[in-house]
Amino acid sequence: MTRSRIDLQDLLFGLFLVAVATGTLVATRNLTVGHAADMGPGYMPRVVALALMAFGVFFTGRGLWRTGRGIAPVQLRPLLAILASVGVFALTAERLGLAIASVAAVMLASFATREGRFVETVAFAIVLSGAAVLLFVKLLGLPIPIWPR
Amino acid sequence: MELFDNLLMGLSTALQLNNLLFCLIGVVIGTAIGVLPGIGPIPTVALLLPFTFGLSPASAMIMLAGIFYGAQYGGSTTAILVNVPGETSSVVTCIDGHEMAKQGRAGTALAIAAIASFFAGTMATIVIAVLSVPLSVLALKFTAVEYFSLLVLGLIAAVVLAHGSVAKSLAMVLLGLLLGLVGIDVSSGVARMTFGIPALSDGLDFVPIAMGLFGLGEIIANLERPAERRVVSQSIRSLIPSRADLRTAFPAVVRGTALGSVLGVLPGGGAALPPFSSYALEKKLARDPSRFGKGAIEGVAGPEAANNAGAQTSFIPLLTLGIPANALMALMIGALMMQGIQPGPQIMTEQPKLVWGVIASMWVGNLMLLVINLPLIGLWVSMLKIPYRLLFPAIVLFCCIGTYGIANSLFNVWLMMGCALIGYFFIKIGVEPAPLLLGLVLGPQLEENFRRAMLIADGDFTVFLSRPISAVILAVVAALLLAMLSPAILRTRKEALAE
Repeated sequence: MTRSRIDLQDLLFGLFLVAVATGTLVATRNLTVGHAADMGPGYMPRVVALALMAFGVFFTGRGLWRTGRGIAPVQLRPLLAILASVGVFALTAERLGLAIASVAAVMLASFATREGRFVETVAFAIVLSGAAVLLFVKLLGLPIPIWPR
Repeated sequence: MELFDNLLMGLSTALQLNNLLFCLIGVVIGTAIGVLPGIGPIPTVALLLPFTFGLSPASAMIMLAGIFYGAQYGGSTTAILVNVPGETSSVVTCIDGHEMAKQGRAGTALAIAAIASFFAGTMATIVIAVLSVPLSVLALKFTAVEYFSLLVLGLIAAVVLAHGSVAKSLAMVLLGLLLGLVGIDVSSGVARMTFGIPALSDGLDFVPIAMGLFGLGEIIANLERPAERRVVSQSIRSLIPSRADLRTAFPAVVRGTALGSVLGVLPGGGAALPPFSSYALEKKLARDPSRFGKGAIEGVAGPEAANNAGAQTSFIPLLTLGIPANALMALMIGALMMQGIQPGPQIMTEQPKLVWGVIASMWVGNLMLLVINLPLIGLWVSMLKIPYRLLFPAIVLFCCIGTYGIANSLFNVWLMMGCALIGYFFIKIGVEPAPLLLGLVLGPQLEENFRRAMLIADGDFTVFLSRPISAVILAVVAALLLAMLSPAILRTRKEALAE
């Protein structure tokens, strides 16, 4: 990994924590805080968010201050293919049924690598889809349609 | 003897036909997954959780535990034959195990690994049985105050003893605690951080989070680096080690077992620390340390024993106190909660059949591993030939269906997708996600006990220090944190955890 003038790993983690803490404080602004002997629903989220904020500021500061490791370049192909595979499954599973959703998810996922061979992937996707239907719907009784309704 | 009564009760549960079957399924699936590099035991257990919902709590735990130690075992097979650790815990086995395989002694290495694991498993079962009773007696004296302190100790110790930056791990625990707070607040009925999404009112399911963070994030990162695997192809000639091999290996097995049993109990130790420590110890004790790295049989026997003993004794905090020692045990706690069993110090007295059944099943399962797996070596080797390009789409699909199946909810699939992205981000910035899972699972209990303790003490924070048991526990927490700041310990920790 390359060295860089700032510690990018620390910096990004710190910014992430600050974002999460800020989000929490905003999301819980209307909850009663109460006091220690009688805590309201907002007490714990507020305490944890403030602690997270402190950690976030610490890491952001340390990231800017010291030299550190850079980040290995992000490769979009596997990232997008896997996320798209899960997304397509979520979009199609209940509408088009498990059989079609499975084929779509497997096909999309296999785009994550260049090694895939089209015919092999299609055949494998169909076999897996069949196996998934048998195992999850027939055997385990998962209440999910097999075909489009 | 109470001990034998307990073990007998456990055996009567473990030897029921259906439980034997689930134990067998668990160890076989676990071994299969452990053999395949690319998916660890955490996503495996998460993936298979939905299958256990229909089972009785004991059967479910027996099967999940079987998956866990089976996966450890399978990892060694891959380590020896391919020089790729199937699991973090078998990183060390690669060093000398694969060297032995290259010298044509793969069979001996596999057999020694199996025998060492079985011996360690047997001893660890006894250790668990002996330690459980006094621990659970102590645990019964606990009120919300002590339990809160104990939860804090569990979290802090897991962070301090695990690898990675302590500050980052603490931040991850807090992040997990925060995620654990999502949902309807039990005492006031107010929705917290649900953003108006009905699926969030029961809180976040930890399975999609675990699958996304550990499984899918890992797969995306794996796909970025092209992996090559070379199986040692010559046939495995003899599985029976020679007498000289056994004589050299046996003391290492005993030391490894002892070391593993102790380190396994410590939170955060789990299965990663013991094999490293055992390897270092064997190398230090050896008459000729230069043999290590060139196929020394002690370098396989010691770490393998330590690894298996540690895997099993890491169940002690879970079974006696209801506190998970690592992320995997957090999943087990989750499995228990889904079965309607509230984990906590009372678990042993309220669920003796379950606890002792699981303990006894570990010994049974280890016996199964020894008997079935050596003859099945050929099958495992052929599994190694499945190319990753076919493997990972299958894992992605099963993660999707498994996550959906937990609550028949598409929301969980979307949640898993988000967590996959975050998990990938964590890998990129070099942060360990395991503490997050601990925080997530323990968060609700931590809050509940904190609120109850504060209610009892009328908002007086000193109650945690004025009660003796709680004060001792918190003193240990303080000592751990202080020790972390001392440069000498920082250095040894770095050495001990260096890979």
